[in-house]
Amino acid sequence: MSQTHRASQTTHNPSCSETTLQWCLSVIPKSDYSAFALYWVRIPERYKDQLDELSVALREVLIDPLQEELWIARPEERSAWVDKWNARGYRWWAERQFLPGVTDNLAHTVQEALELKKFADISVSSGAGFIFRDRLMSAEDAANLRKTLTMHKIYSDSESIERSSRYTIYHPLADTFKVHDLSVDCTGELLLFPSVRLPEPPQTLPVSLELEDEGLEALSKDRLLALTLSEMRTIRNYFRQKQVQQSRSGKGLPTSPTDVELEILAQTWSEHCKHKIFNATISHVDYSSGNRNKVVVKSLYKTYIQGPTKELMASRKDLLSVFKDNSGVVKWNDEWAVCFKVETHNSPSALEPYGGALTGILGVNRDILGTGLGAKPIFNTDVFCFAFPSSDLPTRPKLLPAKAIMDGVRKGVEDGGNKSGIPTVNGAIFFHPGYRAKPLVFCGTGGILPLDVQGKCGYEKHTKVGDTIVMVGGRVGKDGIHGATFSSESLHEGSPMSAVQIGDPFTQKRVLDFIIEARDQGLITGITDNGAGGLSSSVGEMAQITNGATIELDQIPTKYPGLADWEIVVSESQERMTLSTTSLDKLQSLAEKHHVEATAIGVFHDKGYFEVTRAGQPVALLDLTFLHDGLPPLELEAEWKPSQITMTSGSVPADLGKFLLRLLAHPNISSRENVIRQYDHEVQGMSVIKPLMGERQQAPCDAAVICPVYGDKAGLAISNGLNPRLSSHDPHLMAICAVDEAVRNMVCVGADPDTVTLLDNFCWPDPVLSTKNQHGKTMLALLVRACQGLAEAVLAYKAPLISGKDSMKNDFDDGVIRLSIPPTLLISGMAKVPDVSKCVTMEFKQPGDIIYLLRAGKPGLAGSHYEEMLGWQSALTPQIDLQKAAKLYRKVHQTMDKGWVNSAHDLSEGGLAVAISECIIGSGKGAKIDLTHLIEYEKKSGDNSPFPFSTDKVLSRIDTILFAEGPARLLISIDPAHKAEWETFWKDYECEEIGVVADKPRLTVWEGVATVIDLAMMDLERAWRTALPFD
Amino acid sequence: MHKPEAIVLCGDGINCDAETAWALNLSGFEAAPMHVSDLLLQPQALSKAQMLVIPGGFSYGDEIASGKILAIKLKERLRDALYTYIEQGNLVLGICNGFQVLVQLGLLPFSGENDPRIVSLVRNAQLKFINKWVRLQVYPDVNSRFFTSLREIELPIRHGEGRLALEPLTDGAAESIEQTVKRLAPLRYSDEVNGSFDKIAALTNPAGNVLGLMPHPEAFVRWTQNPSWTNRQVAIKRFERSTTIAEIPHGLAIFSNAAASLN
Repeated sequence: MSQTHRASQTTHNPSCSETTLQWCLSVIPKSDYSAFALYWVRIPERYKDQLDELSVALREVLIDPLQEELWIARPEERSAWVDKWNARGYRWWAERQFLPGVTDNLAHTVQEALELKKFADISVSSGAGFIFRDRLMSAEDAANLRKTLTMHKIYSDSESIERSSRYTIYHPLADTFKVHDLSVDCTGELLLFPSVRLPEPPQTLPVSLELEDEGLEALSKDRLLALTLSEMRTIRNYFRQKQVQQSRSGKGLPTSPTDVELEILAQTWSEHCKHKIFNATISHVDYSSGNRNKVVVKSLYKTYIQGPTKELMASRKDLLSVFKDNSGVVKWNDEWAVCFKVETHNSPSALEPYGGALTGILGVNRDILGTGLGAKPIFNTDVFCFAFPSSDLPTRPKLLPAKAIMDGVRKGVEDGGNKSGIPTVNGAIFFHPGYRAKPLVFCGTGGILPLDVQGKCGYEKHTKVGDTIVMVGGRVGKDGIHGATFSSESLHEGSPMSAVQIGDPFTQKRVLDFIIEARDQGLITGITDNGAGGLSSSVGEMAQITNGATIELDQIPTKYPGLADWEIVVSESQERMTLSTTSLDKLQSLAEKHHVEATAIGVFHDKGYFEVTRAGQPVALLDLTFLHDGLPPLELEAEWKPSQITMTSGSVPADLGKFLLRLLAHPNISSRENVIRQYDHEVQGMSVIKPLMGERQQAPCDAAVICPVYGDKAGLAISNGLNPRLSSHDPHLMAICAVDEAVRNMVCVGADPDTVTLLDNFCWPDPVLSTKNQHGKTMLALLVRACQGLAEAVLAYKAPLISGKDSMKNDFDDGVIRLSIPPTLLISGMAKVPDVSKCVTMEFKQPGDIIYLLRAGKPGLAGSHYEEMLGWQSALTPQIDLQKAAKLYRKVHQTMDKGWVNSAHDLSEGGLAVAISECIIGSGKGAKIDLTHLIEYEKKSGDNSPFPFSTDKVLSRIDTILFAEGPARLLISIDPAHKAEWETFWKDYECEEIGVVADKPRLTVWEGVATVIDLAMMDLERAWRTALPFD
Repeated sequence: MHKPEAIVLCGDGINCDAETAWALNLSGFEAAPMHVSDLLLQPQALSKAQMLVIPGGFSYGDEIASGKILAIKLKERLRDALYTYIEQGNLVLGICNGFQVLVQLGLLPFSGENDPRIVSLVRNAQLKFINKWVRLQVYPDVNSRFFTSLREIELPIRHGEGRLALEPLTDGAAESIEQTVKRLAPLRYSDEVNGSFDKIAALTNPAGNVLGLMPHPEAFVRWTQNPSWTNRQVAIKRFERSTTIAEIPHGLAIFSNAAASLN
């Protein structure tokens, strides 16, 4: 193969044992600068007579000769650079370099470019340099200081540079950052090429489990296995079995498990991979009725997640593959299926937000690539939960600044989506102080795959005995070792550095192109991704298809030597897929065309075990039944006591307009434009409803719609729903509201409610009682209640779950403080829009259109942003009539099909007043709203409503009407020409006319003759467009 | 009528190949994606096609400078074939990242072998990636085969490095360079969007057969791609009693012009 692979060149080139020459390079802008690119280069001896040609090639590759110059120096010659900066009045310079082994995409690209220039085997490491001053040099400096970046700041000492640069220009887990004083000669202290230097790898060793309980627990902890005592005992007992011992000795394996085997078991049995809590037997005690009611739930997953879907399967023939593959697969038309998966990447994002979010996106993309025989990703959707940066937030040495987390995550998603050519069509950003220590980073991807691949069913795997196991994409390194077990533990001071990874979207894009072409040529018989758990997980899982697999470690390409056998097996190095093939040669030549590495690493068989060999000798041999089903079931206790909230409230504030403006500027409500515009949401050319629509491109749409098949009129709607603010009131309602929001958002844009499929993503504080975790029982009870609410809503809406994920240890505990997230359930949905030309957007369309409020529930103040703003505490939770809402959504869809609806918007954060304001801002028009009837209606319906709280006078208060939040409410505007038929159509439903769209860009709200709000559109817009504090 | 053929490059981080090929097929071309590796192996494939399209994307991850490494690759392996192809009057179209590649290759605004490179596409003035629909003015006096009969159009931009900057050559040359570049700019942003010189959004060579543009014509080949399509449809329903928008989407019009010019 002519070209070396990107991944093989990271920092060490095994083929190049000759002595090397080092160069350091600086790319210096010709204009004024304070930051510049730095490179460290190792040049093999064989180029010693071509150094002039090499420097020409480097100039061509690295600089724009008219804008920049390239400084080339041997390490010891860098004092010349110092003189130049000294002469310009700078006091310090700093170098930033990747830590050895951290993915360096820029360096890989430089290496590939140098190969194009016929300089192969040159090792490159990229970084950056910065120069700093200790005083102002001129008036110009002072001007720069005012208008530009931190770079132009003045520093009095090098420590303050280090401090203010941490998490803004370098990250201690990914970079080395070194500040040098320009006034003294420190050439000797400058950084050199960051080689990975590992000692000889340890041999695979047996690990004795013949220990007392304390010993077993200590072993699990020391090796970061995250296995419980009972799991350790189960493993010990397995290896004690005579049969097992006989087959092991026959293969030359020790009686005790090897470290490889122990690691494979720990990975396979991790919470991350086995969802032990969702499969546990839970004894749930409920005190809500005043008495003690105990029920035993055999498995939350089987009871509340899989159960309702099974019930709905009979009427939903479009569910092709649910809960078994890497994503849920739904039939699209007679040729295609669509699939969807949402993952979380919370712990990695808490440690290193950029890399965490980037690998999160790329990881879920691989879930799609690894579905069936390989699906093509067609959209991303991302939901972030952050703590809003504020001085009130707790700070701890191990906690990154809240703003650094936000910025890193945002940038990671930008690079992950944009560089992969997958549009980020939709998302949400939610702030709550509870996400201080663990941000939630939900990364979702949808894909499309053919139903028929060369005569085979495209959404199933067809791996057969004798098929070759092929690893595709990146190489194996130290990065991401113990990711699976790590995400199953709470963060602490000793969290392993090897969990930090940075993704390589470019390599993965090449892998993506390769997989799709290989699939279409029929070269793939089965495929899965290498996510958490690496090869151990991907091969271990695929082995179940044929009932056995053997992989040979000598065949597995690594980034550098020095990896232990067990590390190779569980490493989570990115951008890798595992597939099975019967046509290795064709597959490899196709891989060569795509510059993708595809290596045969073993074979699938039917011998009943998963075997790992080194030079033909087994280092691991695990019975597949034990590996996948040997895990002892978990037994847990849950205890539910309804929350006791002391109600506090006040009278209606005088200036409601002021509160509306404050709500519009609230971080959970304000415009996301500065984030949306940095994500490509149109690539692939499928978009119909984008995140911001309308003539002003300011209308925040409720759901995305894309056309997955070019030239076809059918659209796919995508949405998300979450409402963690209700968790503290009632997680049952919280779950229902999440489902409702996801469904309602899709209904608003024109999706058919009978085609909805949903994904659940639970992110919870640790629900297992322990000495460190006193709230375990309560947290588990909250989980049980949320699952019950979820199941109810799914059944009522006939919206089956097709895939899901859970992340159960979202706590931070450093021994001083324990910070836990609010229990959070994200529901993501997709649904079909039969004809995209009938889609509806949320902004008002034309003056004179009549505005209606449609409802199947009552809003509440509990969990509302209005309540939070006033510092009130309300027990008035929202109510919903699920059956009625399900019918209402189907009827709304009919009215859209008839073409009556000109705009539709869901009422969510901020309630009615915010929803109307958004429709105004989106359209540039105005609205005249008269709430008199609605208030009277509330007063009246309070007398005969089935809802227990509606007699509360609060519901008919003007501020409640304007700002209360709750499910199952929509704001719809229609052409007055349809008024009569519209009102007849809705006669059995709560459908209140509340106003009219006005030409004048102004919101006016009346109660009787009193004007309660009167604000210009410009004022609403100014408040709403308060930018989120992203860089 | 025989349809003109178009090669749409793909691979190495190009992202927009599928929808660009689809859009070209809608516009009267016979178009298919071709992997960069395949074209380098068989440069003679060019002789069968009347248009080469380098679509948008993030070739080589946009590292170092956008379009740079793909340009080096094409320069190293396809240089002579490309010059011949252009001299023969075939069309070369670079969209977004493809425009950046053409500029890095030194094919715009002058596409001759010995012409100096006089422009760069550098980071947007905002220092951010921007995805937004923009209004654009066509300059009909500029010789181009892509904008016939178009005046004001709408297309999305989706780039982080789309600001056209002029190379500061020798003193005194600057003014003539400015004039030259202005004369070869068939498309400008109506409003300031990224700080581009003279609000330039596209450049052509003097012969009018090489075009690079930052906005994405392939992203506007059906009306439902336009962010204000639901507004227009409501208006049309009311005043024209029709449910479809009659005007040809502007991206489709651009590609159709190219196809028509080849017939």
